[in-house]
Amino acid sequence: MAEAVETTDNKYPKVLKESLKNLIASQGPKKLYYKGNWSEEIFENCLAVVGSRHLTYYGRKATEQLVTECAAAGLTIVSGFMYGGDEAAHSATVKCGGKTIAVMPCGIDLIHPGTQKKLYQEILEKGGLIISEYEGVTQPQTFTYVQRDRIVAGLCKAVLVTEAALESGSLITASYAKKYGKKIFALPGPITSELSKGTIKLIKEGAYPVTEAKEILDFYKITPTHKKANKSFITGNTLEDKIIEQLKREPLKADQLARMFAVPVAKLGTSLSLMQLKGFINCENGKYYIN
Amino acid sequence: MLIKVPSVVNLGLETIKVDIEINLANKGLPGFEIVGLAGKAVDESKERVRTAIVSSEVDFPQKKITVNMAPADVPKEGSMYDLPIALGILSSVLDFPIPQKSLFLGELSFDGSLRHTKGAFLMALFAKENGFVNLYVPKDSANEAAAIKGLKVFPVENLEQICNHLLGKIDIYPITYKQGKEEKTSGVEFDMKEVLGQEQAKRAMEIAASGGHNIIMVGSPGSGKTMLARALAGILPPLNEAESLEVTKIYSASGGIPPGGSLITMRQFRAPHHTASLAGLVGGGSKPQPGEISLAHRGVLFLDEFNEFPRTIVEALRQPLEDGHLTISRSKQRITYPADFMLVASANPCPCGYAMHPKKSCNCSQNQIQKYQKRISGPILDRIDLHISVMPVDATEFEGNQEKSEFLEASEKIRQRVIQARQRQEARFAGEQICANSQMKNSHIKKYCKLANDVEEILRQASLKFQLSARSYMKMIKVARTIADLDGADEIAISHMAEALQYKPKNFETA
Repeated sequence: MAEAVETTDNKYPKVLKESLKNLIASQGPKKLYYKGNWSEEIFENCLAVVGSRHLTYYGRKATEQLVTECAAAGLTIVSGFMYGGDEAAHSATVKCGGKTIAVMPCGIDLIHPGTQKKLYQEILEKGGLIISEYEGVTQPQTFTYVQRDRIVAGLCKAVLVTEAALESGSLITASYAKKYGKKIFALPGPITSELSKGTIKLIKEGAYPVTEAKEILDFYKITPTHKKANKSFITGNTLEDKIIEQLKREPLKADQLARMFAVPVAKLGTSLSLMQLKGFINCENGKYYIN
Repeated sequence: MLIKVPSVVNLGLETIKVDIEINLANKGLPGFEIVGLAGKAVDESKERVRTAIVSSEVDFPQKKITVNMAPADVPKEGSMYDLPIALGILSSVLDFPIPQKSLFLGELSFDGSLRHTKGAFLMALFAKENGFVNLYVPKDSANEAAAIKGLKVFPVENLEQICNHLLGKIDIYPITYKQGKEEKTSGVEFDMKEVLGQEQAKRAMEIAASGGHNIIMVGSPGSGKTMLARALAGILPPLNEAESLEVTKIYSASGGIPPGGSLITMRQFRAPHHTASLAGLVGGGSKPQPGEISLAHRGVLFLDEFNEFPRTIVEALRQPLEDGHLTISRSKQRITYPADFMLVASANPCPCGYAMHPKKSCNCSQNQIQKYQKRISGPILDRIDLHISVMPVDATEFEGNQEKSEFLEASEKIRQRVIQARQRQEARFAGEQICANSQMKNSHIKKYCKLANDVEEILRQASLKFQLSARSYMKMIKVARTIADLDGADEIAISHMAEALQYKPKNFETA
């Protein structure tokens, strides 16, 4: 059952009050409905992680890597529960046993999008929190997404934008964060990608181009729990080694690899399947990636 | 005076003998009646017969003519009874006997000549099985009938000629069968070497053609899916003798054999548009006709834009995909048509089509994409052996690589490998009801696809890792068997199984 916290309550997140204090009082959510574990600590060190709904494979990988380390070090990951970038951030946190807050654009009793029911349950099971300023089963509307973004930005000390197009919700969150005086981290991406244009714009405007989780944790003055050992793949098989070497540079199609190494695609396919089984590489949308 | 002329009626692919009984009565008003469940086309033959006889400069008898078609409770359709009816009348006027052990069929033209008529091949098959020797059919339809050995097939040009022949004035010589040249399978528009890149997709096509596996291609518009499918038609192996007879039967029944045509020896490539009706695709009508799936029997049914096909039509493919035939039940009759086809489907990953595109961005919502992909149901996808994603090819990928011949093989070269692989399968399945790997049932897989321990281990690991269904597990074995056949190997090796895993089902989900 959903419970509610009002602005006058002591429980009302201080950081949110702080963020909004310079703004007109009417802009802050008067009442926050929530499900799950409401505690002081969960709001202590929040990091908002937002990204495009059409997250690329690169964006997903980078999100997983950064979020996993941050969450493991004790940061609470806040995001908007939309599919794509938000979902990647929540999932990665839940997976490593971290705490996450999902700020919903709809009524507290509605799961939106409905396809992520499983993730919703997992967030609650792992001691996370679901928050909304709307009651009951209010349907999400265009403006509620934007309203939601101000809470996401308001709850956190810093915002990490993973991937964003030029006109996107992620940039709206970032602009709220800027207004509230929060630190902004942006993930650098390839200049050829539509989904990097937003993050590159943020970097140009002064956001910190993040390349490893330590940079975020330094900002929070937290030392990382452990350094993840760099995985190295030595297969002892020349073709497999060559493939790994190539895939480390960029993801490629089977056809391209076959042409590159001048081996029949049948033989190459065999190697790719075996490497996939060994967990060295991964395939998505016809392209192969290093794991 | 009562005359009997034997002919046949084709109910689907089944043939029944029909006796055309013609009675010319001197009593009663002059007239011309046909009885015995004659359809519209049969009833209209009265006018054709009358005019053709007059054109042949014979006086049409001013008697009461009654034609009965026995058995009287079987519906008869078509224009094939013109010749037997005309001959019955003429034999009474000109006084010649109807030869023994003979069957007659043919549509008349007003000038007395005979036109190409469907069903001659089916009649020849029936004649062979039931001890008839002489067939009198239109000249244009004679060659297909002569494909059945041991019969005398008389090519009839016109009424005057056959009357003179039966009167003993001239001879018509039985035709000797000539196999026509079918250069290529229908639908070949591209050679494999014209398709740049797409090596893996081409390889999948080769495997599909070898083992008769169903295949689905998913990719953005312009990535070459249709081109690949058209090129597939050029690497299909020829039909074997038994298959050739089966296919020719269907085409004979549906009037698909051209004048002067012979046995169909090439696999057929059918590509119905997605606006095709259910009856057009799977067969139907009040007098059930074979649909596209039957016309694609032993060949390829190419469904471009697979998820644009209405769901009812796609789901109707399930049973024939499993059984290889379809029974069309209507209140008046039930007809079974064979429909053992190889399904080649192509689909876009999302409504806008660019979900998998490396450059263009897709602007469909997750919801739209899911809805779009759900149009193809799980049971259908589960019946497809090979799943490939086809990515658009960047023209710059090929600069300076054009002449590398190993990546641009001609269809004919691939086809030779396919034929060899098919021969291995036919040799292996000699004595079984099947002739290709894709047709194997679980019992066959147990018998012919023993997996070595290490190969089974790979497959077991893969099915855990990629969450393959039990049916997919079996399909991987079938595909691996075909890859081994292409390799000329008796046993399925690790490399064959690993390659097969490349074509495993992918839920074509987008990031």
